[in-house]
Amino acid sequence: MQERANEMIKIFIDEKPVDAEEGTTVLKAAERAGIHIPHLCYHPAFPPEGSCRMCLVEIEGFPKLELSCSTVVKEEMKISTKSERVVEARKAVLEFLLAEHPLDCPICDKAGDCKLQDYYYEYGLFESQFKETKEKREKKLKIGKSLILDQERCILCTRCVRFLKEVTKTQDLGVFHRGVHSSVNIYEGTSVENNYSGNLAEICPVGAITDEDFRFQTRSWFLKEGESICPLCSRGCNILIEYHPGFSRFELPNRVYRIKARENPEVNGFWICDRGRYGYSYLDEGRADKIILNKIEGENVLTWENISEYLGEKINSMSSAKKTSGIALILHTWLSNEELFLLHKIFKKDLKVEKIFFADLPEGEADGFLLTSEPSPNRRGAQEIGFDIKAVDLSTLADGTDFLLAFGPFLSGLFSPKYLKGALSKIKRKVLFSSYSHELNSLFDVVIPVALIAEKEGSLTNVEGIVQGFQPALEPPGESLPEWKVLCDLGKELGMDSKFYSEFPSPETILSEMGEKIPFFKKKND
Amino acid sequence: MKEKVLTEHFGLENLYKIDVYQKQGGYRAAEKALKKMKPEEILEEVKKANLRGRGGAGFPAGIKWSFVPDTDKPKYLCVNADEGEPGTFKDRYIMSHNPHMLLEGIIITAFCVGISVAFIYIRGEYEAIALRLEQAISEAYEKGFLGKNILESGFDLDVFVHRGAGAYICGEETALLESLEGKRGNPRLKPPFPASVGLFQCPTVINNVETIFNISHIILNGAEWFIKQGLPKDGGTRIFGVSGMVKNPGIYELPLGTSLKDIIFKHAGGMKEGKKLKAVIPGGMSAPILTADEINIKMDFDSLVEANSMLGSAAIIVIDEKTSILDVLKVVTKFYSHESCGQCTPCRIGNSWINKIVIRIAEGKGKKEDIDSILRLASNIEGNTLCPLGDAAALPILSITKKFRKELESYV
Repeated sequence: MQERANEMIKIFIDEKPVDAEEGTTVLKAAERAGIHIPHLCYHPAFPPEGSCRMCLVEIEGFPKLELSCSTVVKEEMKISTKSERVVEARKAVLEFLLAEHPLDCPICDKAGDCKLQDYYYEYGLFESQFKETKEKREKKLKIGKSLILDQERCILCTRCVRFLKEVTKTQDLGVFHRGVHSSVNIYEGTSVENNYSGNLAEICPVGAITDEDFRFQTRSWFLKEGESICPLCSRGCNILIEYHPGFSRFELPNRVYRIKARENPEVNGFWICDRGRYGYSYLDEGRADKIILNKIEGENVLTWENISEYLGEKINSMSSAKKTSGIALILHTWLSNEELFLLHKIFKKDLKVEKIFFADLPEGEADGFLLTSEPSPNRRGAQEIGFDIKAVDLSTLADGTDFLLAFGPFLSGLFSPKYLKGALSKIKRKVLFSSYSHELNSLFDVVIPVALIAEKEGSLTNVEGIVQGFQPALEPPGESLPEWKVLCDLGKELGMDSKFYSEFPSPETILSEMGEKIPFFKKKND
Repeated sequence: MKEKVLTEHFGLENLYKIDVYQKQGGYRAAEKALKKMKPEEILEEVKKANLRGRGGAGFPAGIKWSFVPDTDKPKYLCVNADEGEPGTFKDRYIMSHNPHMLLEGIIITAFCVGISVAFIYIRGEYEAIALRLEQAISEAYEKGFLGKNILESGFDLDVFVHRGAGAYICGEETALLESLEGKRGNPRLKPPFPASVGLFQCPTVINNVETIFNISHIILNGAEWFIKQGLPKDGGTRIFGVSGMVKNPGIYELPLGTSLKDIIFKHAGGMKEGKKLKAVIPGGMSAPILTADEINIKMDFDSLVEANSMLGSAAIIVIDEKTSILDVLKVVTKFYSHESCGQCTPCRIGNSWINKIVIRIAEGKGKKEDIDSILRLASNIEGNTLCPLGDAAALPILSITKKFRKELESYV
C-alpha cells in the first residue's frame, strides 16, 4: 500500500503556494495543504467517480469548472476553491440535492454527522425555491443483516455500490432506473450478508444507509469518540469507539454505542469487519468492577493499592526452588506487549517459572480479508517476546503448584466447570486477573478486575508483526486497573532490577526497554 | 461538383445487396486502400479532407484516429449508430439504403488505425436495420471483404452488430462503451479519452455512422475533391434531416455551408399549409433554438457556433407560429428529464425540476418567478455536469426561455 514518493511540484491554491506530489489530484493536494474541498461521492478508497459535482474548482486556463477529485495537478497550476463561480456551483449542487431530499433530519440517525447537513451549513444557507412534489421512494428497505436503506435520503454518490463491487466483490447493490428515478437498490434475491456490511452505513455520507444496531439508539452528538485497536482478532484494525459520556436525563444501559473504522493504510485501510464492529458488547456486559476476596488469610483487606504487596509477599515467602516449580501462570494474548514483557521478565527470566500456559479462545476461521483465524490481538507479540504458547494442561498445571496466577476469562471456555474445579482445588493459592464477573471467579481466592485494551495504554503486535500503540479510549470500570501497573509494582516488591522499577515505568518506557532487549521490537520501534 | 455523394444511388433497387453495391463501384475504395495505400497515407488523406464528426460534436475524424496510441493492446472501432437525438433520422436512412457503404468505411478505418474488431452499436429500435446490417456483414464475409486476410492484404477484420436497449445516453460515446461492455450505460469520466482507454480498457475509435460513410469517398476521390463538396474547414456534404411544419419533410444531402433558409424554403418546399415560421432547431434537439429572424445562416459547424447554436446532427426541426413555445419547452424538458442517466447531480435533479415547473405552468399554475427559476436552474446545469448531456439539455432550455420569454410569460 506504500505509494512511491513522487517529485514535488508547486501549485497555487487560493493564491497560496502549495507543494503537491506529482501525479496527485487537486483534491488530495488541497487536503494535504489543509484546504478542505467539499465532496460527497469521492472516497479515498476508490477511484474518482465525479458524479456529485460538489468538488468543482476553478482552474486558470480551463473554461469550465473542473473536478478536483479527478484533475491531476500540473506545475504552476492556479486553482481557486473559493471563487464566486465555485461558490455558486457548490450552492447549486446543494440546492439540487436538497430539492429531492426528504429533510427528515429530526429522525435521521445521521443528523449531526451528515455531510449534506454540514455542507449546507457551510456553503448553502439559501432559501428553498422548490415548489414541486418530491419523488416518493422506499424509506425502509432491509438490504442486509443489519442495514436499512432509505432511498429518499440517498444522494446517489454510489459509495455503497462501489464498496460492494471493489472491496467485497459481492456486488449486491446497484443503481436502478434512470434520471430522477434513479435509486440504489438490492439485486433481487440477494442481501448484503458479507462480514464487511457495516462499512456501508459508515461510508454513506448521508442517512441513506443506516445500521439497525444503531438506529434510533441515540443522537450522534451525544457521543464522544476514542481511538483504539480492535482486539477481536490479530489483524489489529484501528477503530474509533463511540461512547456516551453520560447524559443526566437518561438511565443509560451501556456506554458504547458504536464502533467505527479508523483509517490506517498499513493495517486495515478504511474498513473493519462486522465482527469487530458489532462485537462491542464485551466492553460493557458482565464486567467485573470490584476486587473479589473469596478466601484470604489474616485480616488483609485488598485494594488495588496493596495487591502487589500481597502478591509479592506470597512469592517472597517461597524458596527459590519452590518459586520455579511451585508457581504456575495462565496467560492469554489479549495482554499488551508491555504486560507480556513484564510477565516474561518477572516470571520466566527472573523466577524461572516453568509452568506457563496460555488460555485463549479457540482458533477461528480467517475470512480472506481482514479477519484472521486468531481470535486475540497479540499472539505474535507473545511469540516475539519469547513465550512458547502452550495450551493449558490441567494435570501438569496442578501438579506440585502452590500458587497460581491466572489472567483472563477464557479458562472457563476450555474445560468443564467440574474438571476445572477439581484441578484447581489442588492448588493452595489462586489469584485471577479478569475483566468479567463469571462463575469461574468463585474458584479463585482473589479476583482482581482489570482494564480492557480499550481502557488502557500499551501496544500490540498484529499478525503481520506491526507494533501498534494504543491509548485509553474509555475509563476502566470501578476498581479495574491495567495489568501492567500491578506487574510494575510487583517487580518492585520482588526487589528485582531496582533500576528499572524504581522509577515507575510507563508502557512507553517499557516498550523502549523491550527495544533494547529484543531486536524485533527495536526494529519496529524506530 | 455533384450535390449528392453518400445518397447518390439511393433510388436504386436492392442497393443494400452487395452485388448491386459493387456494380455501382462499391468496395473499390476498400481495394484501393488495402492494396495500394499505407495506413499512414489513409490517415493523411482523411486529415486533409477535414472530415468533421457527424454525430454532433464535429471533431475532425483524422485527428481522432491519430490519438490512438501505438500499443500491443487490441484496438477497437465502435460505430455509433445509436441515433437518439430527437429530430434525427439520417443514420437510419443511409444505413438501411446502403449498409455496404458503412462496412466499406469500417474496413478502411480499421485498416488505417490497425483495428481487427469493429462494433456497430445500433439503437435498439432499429431492429430491421440491424438485420439488414447483419445480412450485409455476412455477404461481405462471403466475398472476402471481412474475415481473415481481406483481399490478400494480410489484414483481418471482424464486425459485430450490437443493439442498444433504448437509452438516449448510450449515444454518448463513453456510455456507449459501458453499454457495449454489458454494463449500465453511464458516461465515464474523461480523461482518459476512449482513443487511449476505451472499450475493455483498450484504445478505441468511436465514429458516427455518417462520418464512416464518407471514408470510402475520400479514399476514392481524394481530400481535395472532398473539401470541394463542402467548405475548406468542413469538408463534404451533410445529410440534413428536415422535420416539422414543412411541406416536404425528409432527408436532404447538401453541401456543408448551404443556407438554412434555402433548406427550409427551397429544398423542403417551405412551410406547410402556408403557415408562418416561428423558430427552427437547427441541429437536433440539443441545439439552441433559432428564431425566424435568424435563419439566414450557413449550415456548417463554425457558422452555427457563431450564432450561439450548433450544427449537431444536422436535424432541422421547423416550428410554425401555431405551435405554442410552452409545448416545445415541455417536449424538450420532458425528454431530457426522462433520458438523464441520473449519475450526476445537476443533470439528474435539475432536468426533472425544470420539467416539473414547465408541467405546472402548462397546468395553469405557473407563477411569474418560474421563468427566472427555469433560467437559473438551467444555468446551474450548464457546464457543471459529468457528460455533454447536461449542456445538451441546458442550452436549448436557456435559448427557448430567453428568446421566447414574452410568450412564456403569457402562460403564467
